[in-house]
Amino acid sequence: MGLFTYSEDVIKGFAVSDRTKRGGQYVGAWRVLAPEIDYERCTGCMLCAIYCPEAAIVANEAGKPQVDLRFCKGCGVCSNECPVKAIEMVKEEG
Amino acid sequence: MSEFDVMPGNKAVAHGVRLSRVEVIPIYPITPQTTIVEYLGEFIANGQLKAEYIQAEGEHTCLGIAVGASLAGARAFTATCSQGLAYMHEVVAQAPSYRTPLVMAVANRTLGWYWSLGPDYSDIMPELNLGWLVNFAESNQECLDMVIQLYRISEDWRVLLPSMLSLDGFYLSYSYERVNIPDQETVDDFLPPYRAPYPVDPTISDKWPAAGLPPALHTTYRRLFEELMEDAKKVIYAVDEEFGEIFGRRYGGLIEEYRCDDAEAVLVTMGSMTTAARRAVDRLREEGEKLGLVKLRFLRPFPSSELRRIAERVRAIGVVDRMVLHGTGGGGAFADVRSALYSLDERPPVINFITGMGGEDIPIEDFVAMGRRTLKAASTGRPEREVEFIEHKPEAAPPPVQLEEVMPIYPGSDGCAGCGSSIIIRHLLKVLGPNTVIVNPPSCAGVNFGGVVTVPWVLANYAAAAGYETGLYRAYRIKGKADKIYLTSFSGDGGTVDIGLQAISGAAERNESFIWVCYDNEAYMNTGIQRSGSTPLFANTTSTPAGKVWAGKPEKSKNMILIMAAHRIPYIATASLAYLPDLERKIKKAAEVTRAGKGMAYIHIQQPCATGWYFPPEKTVEVARLAVQTGVWPLLEIEDGVLKVNIKPRELKPIEEYLKLQGRFRHLTKEQIDTIQAEVKKDYESWLTLEKMGKLPWY
Repeated sequence: MGLFTYSEDVIKGFAVSDRTKRGGQYVGAWRVLAPEIDYERCTGCMLCAIYCPEAAIVANEAGKPQVDLRFCKGCGVCSNECPVKAIEMVKEEG
Repeated sequence: MSEFDVMPGNKAVAHGVRLSRVEVIPIYPITPQTTIVEYLGEFIANGQLKAEYIQAEGEHTCLGIAVGASLAGARAFTATCSQGLAYMHEVVAQAPSYRTPLVMAVANRTLGWYWSLGPDYSDIMPELNLGWLVNFAESNQECLDMVIQLYRISEDWRVLLPSMLSLDGFYLSYSYERVNIPDQETVDDFLPPYRAPYPVDPTISDKWPAAGLPPALHTTYRRLFEELMEDAKKVIYAVDEEFGEIFGRRYGGLIEEYRCDDAEAVLVTMGSMTTAARRAVDRLREEGEKLGLVKLRFLRPFPSSELRRIAERVRAIGVVDRMVLHGTGGGGAFADVRSALYSLDERPPVINFITGMGGEDIPIEDFVAMGRRTLKAASTGRPEREVEFIEHKPEAAPPPVQLEEVMPIYPGSDGCAGCGSSIIIRHLLKVLGPNTVIVNPPSCAGVNFGGVVTVPWVLANYAAAAGYETGLYRAYRIKGKADKIYLTSFSGDGGTVDIGLQAISGAAERNESFIWVCYDNEAYMNTGIQRSGSTPLFANTTSTPAGKVWAGKPEKSKNMILIMAAHRIPYIATASLAYLPDLERKIKKAAEVTRAGKGMAYIHIQQPCATGWYFPPEKTVEVARLAVQTGVWPLLEIEDGVLKVNIKPRELKPIEEYLKLQGRFRHLTKEQIDTIQAEVKKDYESWLTLEKMGKLPWY
């Protein structure tokens, strides 16, 4: 990844980057602890999403944060920054 | 008593340097060389080596320091590779005529072209013909031994030329092998202190190395240097012989022959690939094939007569090259071997295999195939092809995860958990939008996020990034696009305050209308946490390790804001990832200033780094917030010369609250903490004083 994304284009020997083919990898396996959101407490301020280093938190239909665990590295910034302490880092089942 | 230990090649080099009692060691980090100088830093920090250790702000300066030290009569060492070696090039060319017998380790790595961290000889190739002795090591033991041998050879008054010790990146630099560490006394007997014939030292010498010669003497001196190279060959053999007697290890001088006695054909290799080639020769020998191996130990001086003697005995030679001389159709060693044999009346066919470029492994099977093809050329007298590229299909990598929503930066990057720079990139691109171009000097952000952003991310050469940006800006301007494209750097602190500073200063003085964003994680994180000009006082880094002798970085960081203000550019700001509305406002302001063509906008953003500052990843934003609240990282901006401190805590928190979260400050004494506190207070109050001035007087 990173510098090593390239594709062969039509000009001989000319490796190119293509922004329409960009994307990351599933990095959920990096995680040791996963964020668990207490939606009773959550005020939907979305600070967690704003600070999430991976952009792995999006708003759900109710306007509350939802973690895309495929991309969550488990850093815990969301939990640390949550002003109402509604996110706990927990060991995942299984 | 000598002892044995298991260690990577880079540590073996460092032990060689320690045992050689090197006196001056300038350094600049670059993968995969960096740990050589880190080990040396540890030796010094713990009192095992007494030497001047200087972290230069770029490789050009780094080799300059080594040459300067050598001119003054000190024994000097440095190490580099790849882009760093290329950046040194001018100084590399100067060192031989100053007759400075320094030793430089080159942990080979591809020279971009297309970037790779893996080894090939494209980095050392352009440096071969400048008057240095160039040695290639096969094993970690050879690395250690050759550092000692090379000082002995280089400092011999019959030679007095600098040496490069080439060790393959990763294959040797990071691979562990059993290594014998000779004892200091024996090395001292073998390698006496360096005595410069004409040191630049007016207290003891009226003579010093000349810098220029009349043109008529240039040809003469070129001939003399060729004679020196010939003389060096004798010294190389003599030193190897003596080393063998004392230490029990002989390497053979310029070349090593392996199973060549009755060989019908030989493969010619160099560096670490030789070990795999030996096994291929063994395998073919078991099948009854008469294949031998010649290891080129020195590429300069080139072992021409040695190869001629071999050519007279064999019926084909296959040269394995990890480098290409573009435009010649073949590799560098091939060209040299073929050229050396031209004067023979009868020459065996010489064929060339080009392989292992970009660090790709060359497996034993490939050497077996190369051996067979060379043997076939020996039996037919004609090769099927003179030059052959041995190519493999790349390993299938998982394709990028394509999300439906187009995002400025996609999740799933290679960045560390809790990385702050991705937070900065996301908010930067949120403000600037899709028609943004990012110019990026080498950095961890480039490696980790260059592939997941959806704007052009132009990797620029380290010291030239502000040059790339200037060129892009001027091209957009002349094409009427300057107000349609936002142009910004995303540069680390090394690329800004150290190696990049000259080009940034030039662009600022010309007042080019682009944005310079520095994400400052206060050390060289991409190469493994070496100190930069932005590393704070007393911080522990891998090049300022806190030990028995050292107590972290002894200097304060550069004041980049004042440096930029000295250029009178229209907009300068600091920002923090903990204060994102402030950060976004400042990026917007920078975009307005540059879009209006008013000149350069400079934004310096602190980026706490969990990996390099040694704090738990969830604390990234908390550490950034504390930096502002303790006054260590004041948020301020200078707009047309008017300085404003944006966030003024009613009372600054004690610095200890910020320091105690970070492992890089764990070693601090009470006195050191007090010193930092006093410095932070002084700096913070200085900004308030400047703010009171209204407009800075030189605007």
